[in-house]
Amino acid sequence: MLNVSVVSPEATLFDGEASSVVAPAFDGEVGILENHAPMITVLGQGTLRVEGATPMRFHVSGGFVQVVDNTVRVVTEKATPA
Amino acid sequence: MAKGRELVGRIKTTENTRKITRTMEMVATSKMKRASDRVVAARPYAKALGDVISSLFNADLAERFPLLRQPAAERRAALLLITANRGLCGGFNANLIKEARLTVGYLEGKGVQVDLHVVGRKGIGYFRYVGRDVVMARTDIGDVPTARDAASLVDGLMADFISGAIDAVYVVHSKFNSVLSTPPHTERVLPVAAPQRAGAGRDYLLYPSAETILTELLPSYVRNAVYRALVETAAAEQAARRTAMKSATDNAGEMLNLLRRTYNRARQANITQEIAEIVGGAAALQG
Repeated sequence: MLNVSVVSPEATLFDGEASSVVAPAFDGEVGILENHAPMITVLGQGTLRVEGATPMRFHVSGGFVQVVDNTVRVVTEKATPA
Repeated sequence: MAKGRELVGRIKTTENTRKITRTMEMVATSKMKRASDRVVAARPYAKALGDVISSLFNADLAERFPLLRQPAAERRAALLLITANRGLCGGFNANLIKEARLTVGYLEGKGVQVDLHVVGRKGIGYFRYVGRDVVMARTDIGDVPTARDAASLVDGLMADFISGAIDAVYVVHSKFNSVLSTPPHTERVLPVAAPQRAGAGRDYLLYPSAETILTELLPSYVRNAVYRALVETAAAEQAARRTAMKSATDNAGEMLNLLRRTYNRARQANITQEIAEIVGGAAALQG
């Protein structure tokens, strides 16, 4: 399982477990599964999908995704639940 | 009972004032709760941003980023003072203004030209009163500051810093350590202080490159520093108002006790005197 958190300047929108994350990177979508190599990538604009027991969708724009040791941090300037 | 009636009036006004200050205390308490929740909610973002910047940061890259430029000498600096739009919060605004004045004095003592940017009606009022030019005066930032407010405040300053028009940006705000500790604080947000890397740092896959990521994140980092300053000051304002209104309510209570005691004593003295007069009169008739 992945430990996923979605944070914006104003609030933490999601913090929990997920099986996979699909994020809108600057050049297209990037999928993250378990045991992904450590990665930092810049986000573009689009829909962030967090798949797990309860799938979640967020509109995000700008910021970055950090993946390290099965922990995914989506840090974005603007995020709204979709 | 001329004195008695006067006392009744004073008791009533004190009661009314106490009613107002107690209400303000309760309003401030609930606003403060929500404001301090926002302070806490802002922490994960700041931490994540700081972590990533420090893990990407190295001295070679530093020289290529205008936001990390360390000017050889400060000639001109911007000072962003954040105060409240409203008063009745004890020494809150006065403390912030004093901190700003000290910082301005210190900088000017070093020969730095200081541009003042002020948020909040109270700070603007003060500097207008002393006749100092304020470059930017903002009163449209309310109890719930947003990241967009912070961006609108600091984006212009960042552009000025990059173009070299100013060499530093300071923010004077209140730190929200706890409800009882909200000291004024001066923070230099530009140039960005090089964050220290903790430990060896991991080998990340970087898309598209460390440079692009930093280009993207450094402005966010600066905006976030200002956003945090706004949120903490908003929470500190409510904390200060709560404390001030609590002591006002307590003082009104004490004053009421004293007034009631005085009133009752006057009333009793009056009755005693009337009885004495009646008894005296009756005795004279019998005599």
